[in-house]
Amino acid sequence: MPAKQLQAEGIYMASSEKSLNSGWRSTLAGKYIASKGGIWAKGSFDTKLFAFLAVTVVLGLLMLYSASYPDAYSEGLKPSYYFDNQLMGVLVGTVLMLIVSKINHKMFMEAGAYIGSFVSLGLLGIVLFIGDADAGTSIKRWITIGSIRFQPSDVAKLALILTLAYILHKYHYLVISKNPLKVKVATAINSLVGKPVINDSFKVVVGCAAVILLYVGLVLIGSHLSGAIIMMGIAVCVLYVGEVRLSWFGLGIVAVIIVGVVAYMAGFIKPYMIQRLVSFVGDNEDPLGADWQTNQALYAIGSGGFFGKGLGQSIQKYNYVPEPQNDMIYSIIVEELGFIGGVAVILLFALIIWRGTVIGINCPTRYGALVAFGITFKLAMQVFLNIGVATDFIPNTGITLPFFSYGRTALIVNLVEMGILLSISRSSRIKKT
Amino acid sequence: MAIKKDDMKRNSLSAKRGVILLSFFMALLLIALVGRLGFLTIVKGDEYRRIAEEQQYSGSKIASSRGAIYDCNMNVLAQTASVWLIYINPSKVTDKNREDVIRGLVDILGVDEQELREDIAERSSYGYFKIKSEVEYTEKTAIMEYAREKEITDVIFNDPDTKRYYPDGTLASTVIGFTGDDGFGLYGLEYFYDEKLTGVDGKVFTLQDGLSYELENGNKIMYDPVNGEHHVLTLDNEIQTILRSACITALQDNEAENVYGVVMNTKTGAVLGMCNVPDYDSNDPFTISDQKTLDKIAELLDEEEKNKAISEARFSQWKNKAVADFYYPGSVYKVFLVAGAMEEGAIDENTSYTCHGTITVGDRTVKDYNPIGHGAETPLTLLVNSCNTFSVYVGQRMGIELFYKYFDAFGFTEKTGIDLPGEGTPVAGVTYHSPEISFTNSNLVSVSFGQSNQVTPMQVATAVSAIGNGGKLMKPFIVQKTVDESGNTISETEAEVKRQVVSSSTAATVASYMEEVVKRGTGTNAYVAGYHVAGKTGTSEKTGVEEIKYIASFAGFAPSDDPEITVVIVIDAPGGARYSGGDIAAPVAGEVFEKVLPYLGIDPSYSEEELAKLSEPAPNLVGKTVSAAKAELAYSDHTVRVIGSGDTVVAQSPEYGRSTPANGVIVLYTEENMPEQTAQVPNFIGMTVAQANQVAVNRGFNIKISGSSFSSSSVVAYKQEYAEGSELELGSFITVYFKTSGISD
Repeated sequence: MPAKQLQAEGIYMASSEKSLNSGWRSTLAGKYIASKGGIWAKGSFDTKLFAFLAVTVVLGLLMLYSASYPDAYSEGLKPSYYFDNQLMGVLVGTVLMLIVSKINHKMFMEAGAYIGSFVSLGLLGIVLFIGDADAGTSIKRWITIGSIRFQPSDVAKLALILTLAYILHKYHYLVISKNPLKVKVATAINSLVGKPVINDSFKVVVGCAAVILLYVGLVLIGSHLSGAIIMMGIAVCVLYVGEVRLSWFGLGIVAVIIVGVVAYMAGFIKPYMIQRLVSFVGDNEDPLGADWQTNQALYAIGSGGFFGKGLGQSIQKYNYVPEPQNDMIYSIIVEELGFIGGVAVILLFALIIWRGTVIGINCPTRYGALVAFGITFKLAMQVFLNIGVATDFIPNTGITLPFFSYGRTALIVNLVEMGILLSISRSSRIKKT
Repeated sequence: MAIKKDDMKRNSLSAKRGVILLSFFMALLLIALVGRLGFLTIVKGDEYRRIAEEQQYSGSKIASSRGAIYDCNMNVLAQTASVWLIYINPSKVTDKNREDVIRGLVDILGVDEQELREDIAERSSYGYFKIKSEVEYTEKTAIMEYAREKEITDVIFNDPDTKRYYPDGTLASTVIGFTGDDGFGLYGLEYFYDEKLTGVDGKVFTLQDGLSYELENGNKIMYDPVNGEHHVLTLDNEIQTILRSACITALQDNEAENVYGVVMNTKTGAVLGMCNVPDYDSNDPFTISDQKTLDKIAELLDEEEKNKAISEARFSQWKNKAVADFYYPGSVYKVFLVAGAMEEGAIDENTSYTCHGTITVGDRTVKDYNPIGHGAETPLTLLVNSCNTFSVYVGQRMGIELFYKYFDAFGFTEKTGIDLPGEGTPVAGVTYHSPEISFTNSNLVSVSFGQSNQVTPMQVATAVSAIGNGGKLMKPFIVQKTVDESGNTISETEAEVKRQVVSSSTAATVASYMEEVVKRGTGTNAYVAGYHVAGKTGTSEKTGVEEIKYIASFAGFAPSDDPEITVVIVIDAPGGARYSGGDIAAPVAGEVFEKVLPYLGIDPSYSEEELAKLSEPAPNLVGKTVSAAKAELAYSDHTVRVIGSGDTVVAQSPEYGRSTPANGVIVLYTEENMPEQTAQVPNFIGMTVAQANQVAVNRGFNIKISGSSFSSSSVVAYKQEYAEGSELELGSFITVYFKTSGISD
């Protein structure tokens, strides 16, 4: 048995014994902590992942400043307005990330699933009624409390990962079970087919599907297509890694199509969403309409060439690319830093993704592994969907680039997710330095 | 619990099955992104950068300033000045400020109120409406000041603009031309040299943001404007003024349709003056200046016909007919006929011919205007009498080929090449007879006295100049040089000899004949004492018109032995009873010679005959009062000098009856027994006749000219009767001896 594994298990043991002597162990929280083997994770800190993150976050801040000051200026704001806010997000997010990275990841199991879902679904519901709309649209996506403004869907994505991971972890025995499902309809179908096609794993699949439908449904009702897409992607990934049988995915796809059609007919999928997809297919017929943003991003990227115009030298950020600090920030990065800079950004994400994958593979718990994969895949999806849009590779979906695009909640949530990854990493049997 | 335990031990290795696949999938996506990025930045980079720069750089014009046009003494003929364009933003006109806006524009700029109200109402959603262009500085300042006062600066705006000014727009309008609203030359030199006058507009490309605001620290790409070149003409305002006023007088006196005049430097071909009347004002080219034409148009009732007539009248007044229009030179052509015939030896100075008033060639009989005939003639008298029959005879002696050779050689089959637009192009078989197309012997008869072959006034001016210029045909020109803003010469026109048409001796002979024409022939009306004008008159009948109309012309140069200027006057369709060139064109030319030659500083050189004519016996003034004597002498050009303080003249010098130069001096003594007043004799050596006379008169002496006097300004004093400084009585005569100082060819 590898020494590391022993060491890790030993640490858990030690921490449980230590908690026996504590007085608060009789409370609910105390019992929960005790069952998870203590609040704090004991493994060492993953300096590699942290280093990748640090470089990414610093570069992100720098590029955000460069991309955002013309827009801030033309809106009559302080040129550093976006940067200042983002910096605040980085500071808060980093503190949270470091705190979270210290927490024993098992602590998130029930807490993450129940509290996370409760809060997220609650917020997703509330935002439909009291949310703020983006300028120029009637779509309520934002919740504003005092000076804090955030999108519930950012939080909900993480909650969905934690919830699915928990279910798949807890009921893994059912997922891999070959026992026929003891339900009349299932028994009938099984006897009809002649073998147990509907087994106990169906229970888990139905459970997960219900959760997914709840999350994605609420997001769709809020007309947040990109959020829904990411959530679906994450869900599929986590289910897949959670060893759910492929045949269930086929059923899932059928279900999604049915839901999609129903949603469209019920009016939850709005014409502008279709428009976004159509504008990708059409050929630059409407220079100031749906293609304007994409075209301007392409001109920025093309202008950058191989080496870029130099930091701060973008012209396209001056009211050509709309809100260059948001979705299209990647195009400004390439304009200023060129192909080289663009590849560097992709490479940084690739390193984080690689690290997240390694952490997941080497995680001793199924739960940790699933959460690590979920978070990593969520990041990968966001990166691909954002850069894919900026480079006119896929339709415009309105997904931001993690650590680069402006947005404090998203940034803080992303950093917290990285904190979770760092926390899982502590228990992973990998080299940390 | 057992299952959980199992789970802990198994760790997540079982999940690896999908993880590998997922990782591979994610890696693939990221690689795809890198590939896409490479395609966009490297393959499509240049294309996108070009499109991006097109939208990022906004090009705006920096207008070059149009070059000015000067006369030879740098007097401005045409220049560009700053004016302003006033416009409004109708969408900013509100019920509150409407009256202020309208009052300001109407009261200050003089805009029509009714129209303005309608325009503003119609364009209430527009952002731009032009109110008035070419607004002067004071007006522009007034309206903008008003706009500030009334707080309507968001409605009324101004833009800098330019306007072409012609300080004297009528002086040489057909030569200078004019520019259109867009500032480009439409007629005349403004058109011909438009490109050089315009220069090249500059451009500035500024970096702008997506909302079209200039980026503060953005790149600027500047292409400086190249301002238009200033054009300095050979035209002389003074000469042009003389020529034009003479032409206008001729137009009115003779009720002619047109009068064309050209004054040219005989030796270089530089045009010193050129006019066509009626003409127009370059500042206001669309207004028809000729009252006769206006009256005719006013008579028209049909609106369409009226508009057509107005348009035709405009084109007509804009046309530089002195270079564009063809006419029959009439007898003026005999100069070239004789020159060519003499050059070829078809005739010589002594060729004799007897004119009986008619000549028959083949089946064609030509009558001279003198039915009795001129009797015995030589080539000299051919020109002096302007004898048609002798001309026909000379033409026959030359034959078609030789005749055509000189018609061609004198430049009548080609454009003169002057740097003016719209020069008439001679066309064989149309404007003239060419042996290759159709040139019968009958044609030869007509063309010998200047009918049937057409020429332009400019062609005649250059051809007749060749006679005065030792047989050398020059290429005429009107732009002396172009200069830049600092006055540095950019290009300069050199006099260009086209060819030697006839030998200098032939030219000199013909020139001397022409001087005789003016002295005692048909051209006497062009005679100017002291200036040896040489010339030839012509009267031709217009063809292709309903009633009989004539063209009277004169072409000549002076002084004949060493000509300075050539003058051509053409009077088109005189309406009066007199229509011959000698009658009506020669006096116009005479007036031009008389005024231009002294202006050019050319001293008259009088012949003995002329001096004799210029002298008259001194009147008897003794016994008259001083004022009466002065009044009497005021009729002549005598200078009066009164000595003493009496009221009555008691003595005079020169004495009564003595022949005294008209421009000499008469000394009157008013006190008895006064000692005779004396003065010192000045030095006359090296002076011309005119200068010597002036100096003498100023001292109180009269001069008596001795020696060669037939030649002109090259004649100077070489000897004087009394030595310089000797005392002599006022009013005395001093004989001064003159001779030719240099040899001229």
